[in-house]
Amino acid sequence: MRRRAGLVAVALVLLACGAAAVQSDDADDQALLADADYAGGLAALKAGDVATALKRFQSALKRFPEAANLHNELGFSYRKLGQFDKAFEHYKRALAIDPRHRAAHEYIGEAYLLVGDVPSAEKHLAALRSICLLPCAELNDLHKAIEAHRGQAMSR
Amino acid sequence: MMRITTIAAAAAMSLGLAGAALAHDVEEGKGRLGKVNFANSCDTKVQGELQRAVAMLHSFWFSAGEKAFRHVLDDDATCGVAAFGIAAILMNNPLAGQGASPKAAEAAIAAIEQGRRAGAKTQRERDYIEAAAAYYADFAGRPERARQASRAQAFEALAAKYPDDDEAQIFAALYTAGTQAQSDQTFAAYLKAAAVLEKQFVKYPDHPGVAHYLIHSYDAPPIASKGLPAARKYAGIAPDAPHALHMPSHVFTRVGAWQDSVTTNRRSADIAKTDGDGAGAYHAADYMVYAQLQLGRDLDARRVLDEFKSAGGAALPQFAGPYAAVAMPARMALERGDWAAASQLPQQGTQFAFVEAITAFSRALGAARKGDVAAAELDAQMLEAQHKALLEAKNSYWATEVEIQRIAAAAWITKAKGQPDEALRLMRAAADLEDRNEKHIVTPGRVVPARELLGEMLLELKQPAAALKEFEQSQVREPNRLRGYADAAAAADAAGERDKARQHYAKLVELTREADTSLPEVARAKTYLAAK
Repeated sequence: MRRRAGLVAVALVLLACGAAAVQSDDADDQALLADADYAGGLAALKAGDVATALKRFQSALKRFPEAANLHNELGFSYRKLGQFDKAFEHYKRALAIDPRHRAAHEYIGEAYLLVGDVPSAEKHLAALRSICLLPCAELNDLHKAIEAHRGQAMSR
Repeated sequence: MMRITTIAAAAAMSLGLAGAALAHDVEEGKGRLGKVNFANSCDTKVQGELQRAVAMLHSFWFSAGEKAFRHVLDDDATCGVAAFGIAAILMNNPLAGQGASPKAAEAAIAAIEQGRRAGAKTQRERDYIEAAAAYYADFAGRPERARQASRAQAFEALAAKYPDDDEAQIFAALYTAGTQAQSDQTFAAYLKAAAVLEKQFVKYPDHPGVAHYLIHSYDAPPIASKGLPAARKYAGIAPDAPHALHMPSHVFTRVGAWQDSVTTNRRSADIAKTDGDGAGAYHAADYMVYAQLQLGRDLDARRVLDEFKSAGGAALPQFAGPYAAVAMPARMALERGDWAAASQLPQQGTQFAFVEAITAFSRALGAARKGDVAAAELDAQMLEAQHKALLEAKNSYWATEVEIQRIAAAAWITKAKGQPDEALRLMRAAADLEDRNEKHIVTPGRVVPARELLGEMLLELKQPAAALKEFEQSQVREPNRLRGYADAAAAADAAGERDKARQHYAKLVELTREADTSLPEVARAKTYLAAK
């Protein structure tokens, strides 16, 4: 019998080495998810350590300049730190890369509310309405945030 | 015994390597891997293993290839060029886009340093090492696409510097193909690589890399048929390389060469089973079932399902196994429009949300199409939860795939509730979204193409001309599908386009020449063709 040592060890070779269709989006997702700085940034955000998260995300950006998810996290981090110009820059980049990025639409909308720009927030609400087609959390959350902002403005 | 070929001798002469041990058929000792002639100045005693290692690299047999290159370096500490092989292998599949992991990059850089220290005896060999090193330069500070560009540039320079070195031409073509961007629909990089490789294919019809890279260089729908000759040849060139057995079926699927796909996947599944490679076996089985269903060989497909039913695919850790385990029964139901069976598919409890979504989608679609709105809505809620879980996990690609299923399911539920305009709006949105998301290599095709579903909805809503347009558009992307022909013929007939109906029915009859069941679609096609 011919020897086939090592085949078991390459259980996923058929997949990992499959006829990939021109640099798939899934490969991009998986590469980013496997990145230590990106994972570290997400963990830091979860722990409430925004400064560390920002540092890790910036490091990951050198390797993943075209990752919409990463730009969205950078936008979120800058927003948390009150650096809105930087936040908008990254949210806009995320949406330029992936115009259907729901979280980026929601978060940039909320960031616009924080700087008092309701019409811009509403533009992203409209975008979410056309993207989601069906009820979605991002649409609901931004809608509630806009309503709450209006309520606060009226009570002032 | 290893043979020195005249090709190898000529190559050696032209490279100024007279006296070096050279070129081999790599068919002995560790299986048949094709013919490779990698000229080098390493010791005679490592020639066999070095050539086999290069052949493994050409067939992306990475684990075994890396071991072989490392053995070569152990046995001949002056064979620095083996470091090029290690570094190349650690780049992972250069056409998949993911690139080397940070850990692999670290190991590759260490190997390159070892190769430099070993001191390859010729400038050409030192240039190979440096060409591989170009990819790893400033690894942590650059995106993968920049690394790919550096690699292509370095290997193209190597090929230009040594125009008589065919291995350099072949590797340069591979790395050129590795720069192909999805946004470039002229496929410039692919076609540039293919032009080089076609010439090499004439010279070296049994070279594993040439055939293999040609298939990849035509791996895009508009040019896929050009890859068929290489695809049909590759498995025969390197039948002991796992990748060579299954990989050509990706091209067979793209062009609808179903019998080729059945043959190669049967072999691939058998070998994977023998080797205990569960995920590989399931993956090949799913491709096989998909092809059999297109040929109308339902009994054969059923036999494969039975063969794999109790093999535990759903519990395998690599997602190719669970995906196939869940997709196969879903295909059996959906490809035949068996909505009752689809609505009753059991959830298999895999750990992957996008795999579970296949069942939820099939159940929702099945229930909606047989009018059970309440049941369909329950499964649609599950799809919504799975979509949310994927978004939260930052798994954007699969989130989009499940979103397409979610919108399509909602479309049929909406139709069942009597709102045809809204149903069509949703179904069209799902089809458009699917067109923008390339199918994943784990699957030969979605369990049902969204645009086909749009056509079916239009047909049910008595809009046959519009339906025909969608079916024909779907055929461009998903060619030679049984259901696609049957649907298109029915729509054409209903729209009064008899010639088109005949054309589609004729293709259906041709496709199902060896069908093993009496599908109503086939009987209808034969009756139609006989009557008109």
